[in-house]
Amino acid sequence: MSYIQVDHLRKTFTVRRKREKDSLTREKQQIRALDDLSFGIDQGEMVGYIGPNGAGKSTTVKILSGILTPDSGSVSVGGLVPWESRREHVRHLGVVFGQRMQLWWDVPILDSYSLLKDIYRVPEEAYRKRLDELAEALQLGPLLRTPLRLLSLGQRMRAELCGSLLHQPELLFLDEPTIGLDSVSKLSLREFLQYENQRHGTTILLTTHDMEDIAALCSRVMVLGHGRKLFDGDFNSLLSRYDTARTVLVRYEDAGLVPPLPSPLSFTREGDSLKVVYSPREIPTADLLACLQQAGPIRELIIQPQNIDHMIAEMYREMAL
Amino acid sequence: MNTIRLYLRSMGMLLRSQLQYPVSFFLQTLAQLVMEGGEMMALILVIDRFDHLHQWTSGDLFFFFGIMSVTFYLTECFGRGVTGEFPSMVRTGRLDTLLLRPRGVLTQVLCSAVDPRRVTCIAVGVTALVIGCRLAAVRWTFLKALLFLEAVLLGSMLILALFLIEAIFCIHSVKSVELVNALTYGGRSACEYPVTVYPRPLRILFSTVAPFALVLQVPAAAILDKPLFGLPFWAAFLCPLSGVVIFGIIYLLFQQAMRFYRSTGS
Repeated sequence: MSYIQVDHLRKTFTVRRKREKDSLTREKQQIRALDDLSFGIDQGEMVGYIGPNGAGKSTTVKILSGILTPDSGSVSVGGLVPWESRREHVRHLGVVFGQRMQLWWDVPILDSYSLLKDIYRVPEEAYRKRLDELAEALQLGPLLRTPLRLLSLGQRMRAELCGSLLHQPELLFLDEPTIGLDSVSKLSLREFLQYENQRHGTTILLTTHDMEDIAALCSRVMVLGHGRKLFDGDFNSLLSRYDTARTVLVRYEDAGLVPPLPSPLSFTREGDSLKVVYSPREIPTADLLACLQQAGPIRELIIQPQNIDHMIAEMYREMAL
Repeated sequence: MNTIRLYLRSMGMLLRSQLQYPVSFFLQTLAQLVMEGGEMMALILVIDRFDHLHQWTSGDLFFFFGIMSVTFYLTECFGRGVTGEFPSMVRTGRLDTLLLRPRGVLTQVLCSAVDPRRVTCIAVGVTALVIGCRLAAVRWTFLKALLFLEAVLLGSMLILALFLIEAIFCIHSVKSVELVNALTYGGRSACEYPVTVYPRPLRILFSTVAPFALVLQVPAAAILDKPLFGLPFWAAFLCPLSGVVIFGIIYLLFQQAMRFYRSTGS
């Protein structure tokens, strides 16, 4: 049995619609947030959890954290049922919601940390060591005496992450941690997560819409749609399944030149360049290049893989999400 | 022990947060004085006109007013988490953050807010108590002081319990503010006067569902040396326990309701 074991999990929400004009009763709608979801995660794994908005990702995270009680199905995290032994369970758990802050707004973040130390009953010695480590890794040193409200978004995210990790949880849930961050902050956040995972063997479940996050951090990915698991496995094999298109940008010495292309292909003009979208499965790259080269002397040629977001969009479309 | 320490440290931090905005803090504290001072003015006007109400003398009336407002505003000051913030925590999903920590929900809710602006209201209540004791010539004994402490303490529990009802309704996503306010704020305003001046349905309400009469007013009457319907003095120590009973019942309901908590989207 895995560290996190989820079996046949179901959760339904009842949403009351606003009453229609000529009707006396209010319409109730049942929304299946989770529909027979099962998976297992081993200790020390870093798993990406993706799916379109409303797929049930947050619901899963909330059930795994013990906030919500499911309708049926079983969950065990390190041998505990989250919603039954909530207090025991969250002792070993850290959660960061990208949209929800847990630190206190008007006081220096160091004061918040000190209070969290009391809440989690972390011994003084362990707390100091851990805080030093985290402050260094997250570059929080100079910010510790600044009130949260004066920090920038990226700084605040790092401060939140530090707060959620002070008690050294075995398990970390991240719900869109890089939302709204600039590239530098994103990169340093990813680097930190990798460090935490390797150094302490922290199990990490990462919910995000940022595919770069997944590509950089997670070898394994789970795709959720309409409360059901649609894919579970290697991120690269998921991509290669939908990674069908390549784009070639070609610029000839003679800008007016029109190369003859094999039958289904066509080009569009982009400034001086011609853009051709093709699938390597249908026409081998070598053949296409030979074709382009015969037409005349080439000044510049770029082959681009498809953007990950496009692939994921393609995948969601195919899975009818 | 650790929990009390946590509560005190939280209070310290919240106070520092509030003092980040000193002008706003000062003005709001002043506003509270005007509000509760107004309530006391009403009492003074009543007494000025009638000098007694049923069998109650003006000193008794001041004492009843004082014990109620001291209890209520002490609760609002130190239990602000339950009396003020909790329903909105449920509505906005801020409760999630608390559920992610290895502590009881109610402990954390109590640790999450304090309302020091109420000191002026408490001061008004204390003034009323002092005037009441003077006018009614109360002879304090050790037992009476103990009884007074018990009444205030268990009265606070009762008030917290009544505010918890609102939180329970919120968890079941029912807006209920007015209904519950009738018990809490309504109970406060009504029970600043002895319940014997009210008609029977109200008397029943305030000795069963929201038993302010038992928790605060029986001890008050005992301290004022009134006959307790022929009961001995020690009976006055038993009556406030009804506050604990109500608290216990509502706390169980609250625990039940938390199983239905459905959080909000993110």
